[in-house]
Amino acid sequence: MPVPDIFRQGIARGWKTYDGSALEQDLTLEADVAIIGSGAGGGTTAEILSAAGFKVLIIEEGPLRTSDDFAPLRENKAYPALYQEGLGRMSKNGAVTILQGRAVGGTTTVNWTSSFRTPKPTLEHWAKEHAVAGHDEASMAPWFAKMEERLGVAKWAVPPNGNNQVIADGCDALGLKHDIIPRNVRGCWNLGYCGLGCPTNAKQSMLVTTIPATLDNNGELLYLARVNRLQIEGSRVVGLECLAMDERCVAPNGRKISVRAKHYVLSGGGINSPAVLLRSNAPDPHQLAGKRTFLHITNFSAARFAQKLDPFAGAPQSVYSDQFQWHDGAAGEMSYKIEVAPMQPVFASTLLAGVGEQAAATMAALPHINFMLALGRDGFHPDSAIGNVELRDDGSPILDYQMTDYSWDGVRRAWLSMAEIQFAAGAQQVWPVHVDAPWLSSWQEAKAAINSLPLELYRARIGSAHVMGGCGMSEDPKLGVTDSLGRHHQLENLSIHDGSLFPTSIGANPQLSIYGLTAKLASQLVERLKA
Amino acid sequence: MNASNNHNLALAVSRRGLLKFSLMGSAMLAAAGVTASLSGCSSSQPDTGYQVLRREDVSFLSALIPVVMQGTFVAGKEATATQLTLQAFDRNLAHFSPEVLKLMQQLLDVLGMAFTRGPLTGVWGSWDSASREEVTAFLERWKNSSISLLNMGYSSLVQLIPMAWYGQTEAWGHCGYPGPPTI
Repeated sequence: MPVPDIFRQGIARGWKTYDGSALEQDLTLEADVAIIGSGAGGGTTAEILSAAGFKVLIIEEGPLRTSDDFAPLRENKAYPALYQEGLGRMSKNGAVTILQGRAVGGTTTVNWTSSFRTPKPTLEHWAKEHAVAGHDEASMAPWFAKMEERLGVAKWAVPPNGNNQVIADGCDALGLKHDIIPRNVRGCWNLGYCGLGCPTNAKQSMLVTTIPATLDNNGELLYLARVNRLQIEGSRVVGLECLAMDERCVAPNGRKISVRAKHYVLSGGGINSPAVLLRSNAPDPHQLAGKRTFLHITNFSAARFAQKLDPFAGAPQSVYSDQFQWHDGAAGEMSYKIEVAPMQPVFASTLLAGVGEQAAATMAALPHINFMLALGRDGFHPDSAIGNVELRDDGSPILDYQMTDYSWDGVRRAWLSMAEIQFAAGAQQVWPVHVDAPWLSSWQEAKAAINSLPLELYRARIGSAHVMGGCGMSEDPKLGVTDSLGRHHQLENLSIHDGSLFPTSIGANPQLSIYGLTAKLASQLVERLKA
Repeated sequence: MNASNNHNLALAVSRRGLLKFSLMGSAMLAAAGVTASLSGCSSSQPDTGYQVLRREDVSFLSALIPVVMQGTFVAGKEATATQLTLQAFDRNLAHFSPEVLKLMQQLLDVLGMAFTRGPLTGVWGSWDSASREEVTAFLERWKNSSISLLNMGYSSLVQLIPMAWYGQTEAWGHCGYPGPPTI
């Protein structure tokens, strides 16, 4: 391998890690602070606490996969290993596919690197509607700047690939605004396989930044271990009950790990963090855990171009448009951010799926396909679609996400916006990804077809790669699971540091929002723990 | 299957011959567990060479895969391609969470057993002897059914099958994919 596997090198130097799948007996671990989850929130928190001298234990349900494992970049190996439920996670009604990472580094190991600060209208909406204090734009700016510096976030300087260029071309032709996406990479090879784990360690995920820093600072990592319950006595968490997982991360293998710490940080992300609270019967006087979970409900539009775009190669996301994002205010009609998705063949085939000759012809055109998506900004308007995390019989979480007319209206407008941009960029044909829509040959034809598409589950293909909320923060205990500093309102030594804190969706790919907020919360936690 | 897990859905054929689903609790295709216990014909053991797929599942998918993937498999190599897809489908299922796998198996139960297969799919004989036309008609019926569980089943099957096939190097010629870059 021409790229050193810094994680394996660290382990060889003596980093302390435990593999749940390989345990021969039950285990007890102790730390100053136990962090549940190793994604954006857990990783960021771990680095800051360990640098301040606290003994940190990171607990991750998923497997440890590092750069050497990611080559040779095979989708059929990566997806079952690195995603929640083996890429089988979906909403309770089966209509929304939910992509969430599940590996050391969490979703940061497999995301597409887009890094946006939390938009100002989102922060203002939280202060006004959800009693969030102290997180206005000016207060947050230094924390975003700190994490941008830490993770190499910068606007992508290489020309966009053909897939992304369609947004720029179409928006230019129509006079719509668009911009270059900031990415968290250093020395990126522009391969385009970020969703399979970065084989060159260019992506500045938690796997190659904050987690190594934590392990260098006397921290420890336990992976393939699911936190089943918080053990609670009165208003304190007194321990964690963890179940070791088999090496596929499908089922518990029978070994148990007990964890004792002075303070506990829950960073499992949307769906999994509220699930831990629900499984633990954590005090929840206002029944808020798992409520108000959001997805950036996403719909898609495919376009066929005469020229090759090779949408499977090159930085996955480098151009976006916010033209339709804030035009009606933060809480107006559902608005959306427009981006593209990378199209390696497995991923492409699930999104372009169909039956027989027509689907075969679509896939045969893959090098000529542009694949646009719209991230629906859910949770700002009272009529927005909303999700609620429930527990299945086996204690695993499932998201009940209910679409509404308000959100469907946004889906329809997003199809119109995307088709217009694609035709303006020179598309020969556009397909709004819906089982009843044909390939359409002009903007006029597309407009008529889209306006008559039935807005129904299973017919419109919808998905999500951004789970947010479920443990919302608010100064008012009737509105939030935690206060604005991520302190659980009822449990004094439990903090929540992840995207589940968000009272609404973000209106942008959420990773930098999680980094910035949790860096701030972790730094304040350090001060409190030292006091 | 364990019938005790599957009490939340009652499947009935109305007087007019229309199928009606009565759903209580989670929307799961659980009927087959009940039927399996009544008819005693559902095996729970994986077929030889598979981690998860049972004999009936292999039979059903062997009929379905060439229809869903029609136009993609190289002429003369359909049988090999179907086999590769089956193996990959099985591996993907083997990594699903237990609850998602259970859902898939309930779907496959409904499709596999004569008791439910005939009324729900229109294929009254075994999948082994089903024609392409019959399989195509079944897919259209599920796609356009007013029963959302069947729409969901259609949606899952037409995504999971291509997902299994396009992970194979043999699939890439058709879609103009040069393969991943070398590191």
